[in-house]
Amino acid sequence: MEQQHIDSLLERYLNLIDEYSRLREELSKLQAGVFQNIARANFTGERGMRYGQNHYDERMRALRVLDITPGEDDVPIFNIKSLNSPVDDEGRKEDEKREDSSDGDKADTTATQENSEVNPEDEQSPEDQGEDKEKEEKIKTKKATNNPLRWFGILAPAPLRTAQTLSIQAVEQVIPRLISVNAEMEHVEIEIRRARKKRAKAAAAAVAEKEAAGMEAVEAR
Amino acid sequence: MASNADFKDRQFLAVIGDEDSVTGLLLAGIGHITAGADAQKNFLVVDNKTETAAIESAFESFTERKDIGIVLINQHVADRIRHRVDTYTAAFPTVLEIPSKDHPYDPEKDSVLRRVRRLFGE
Repeated sequence: MEQQHIDSLLERYLNLIDEYSRLREELSKLQAGVFQNIARANFTGERGMRYGQNHYDERMRALRVLDITPGEDDVPIFNIKSLNSPVDDEGRKEDEKREDSSDGDKADTTATQENSEVNPEDEQSPEDQGEDKEKEEKIKTKKATNNPLRWFGILAPAPLRTAQTLSIQAVEQVIPRLISVNAEMEHVEIEIRRARKKRAKAAAAAVAEKEAAGMEAVEAR
Repeated sequence: MASNADFKDRQFLAVIGDEDSVTGLLLAGIGHITAGADAQKNFLVVDNKTETAAIESAFESFTERKDIGIVLINQHVADRIRHRVDTYTAAFPTVLEIPSKDHPYDPEKDSVLRRVRRLFGE
């Protein structure tokens, strides 16, 4: 009975190792792409322009933040939330919104399209629509000015844009999953150790019982 | 396991790495510098001139901050403060070693895979 439980835990653990290895590979591939593209951008940069720390914005604010939620057995699940406006000074967020796509602006328009498809009957007055459009445009301009690509000038080279896309993919999809898998692995490890201990105790008790029975039999003779 | 209160305010990812690793990750929008006189960065660019003490102090500061949930560190940089990284056992923030341009990921050094080997008695 206990052995079966250990086997099922080990099976779960092996699946997690497999996923961990796959995610590791994916992360290495994405990061290699990022490095290659940054190198390409540096190589083609005008007047020896180097895309590095000298151009970082000293007032940068996070556009992608963590969202940690308790999962099964309180094992934390890590996710990345993309914000429409960056985290403000007090650490609060405005207009939080989860985005599946790596391209924020694209995701915005798709979300708006989807909304309009879902609620075709919700008619809005022209004034409301105007306000919405204004809001949307404001968000778009805010997003554009907050885009880290802007640190390196208005016209960022194509390789740098590719590096950003790959990096967003790593940050949104691979890193949080890697950390979540690690947390789950830690949890399963504890369960396996606990089950093994229980099994060892049961085995020791069985041996002691056998020995006691043997002694009784000898005494009876 | 960690309680909800342990991680509800942890919203930032921190990074310690070489220039290209940090630039790549900041391009994704994870960089954050707090406003005010004591502006705190959530990243450290490490080069050949960076002293080990500076890396150690950044690692310590990031792992003590209550608003950081994940600390990303280049594996070769982690090697320079290996004793600190290996003895770090807190659940939050989680430390993840990542590859860099000149140092690809080495599974032999991966703390998770080392834990796996320990579990299977190797």
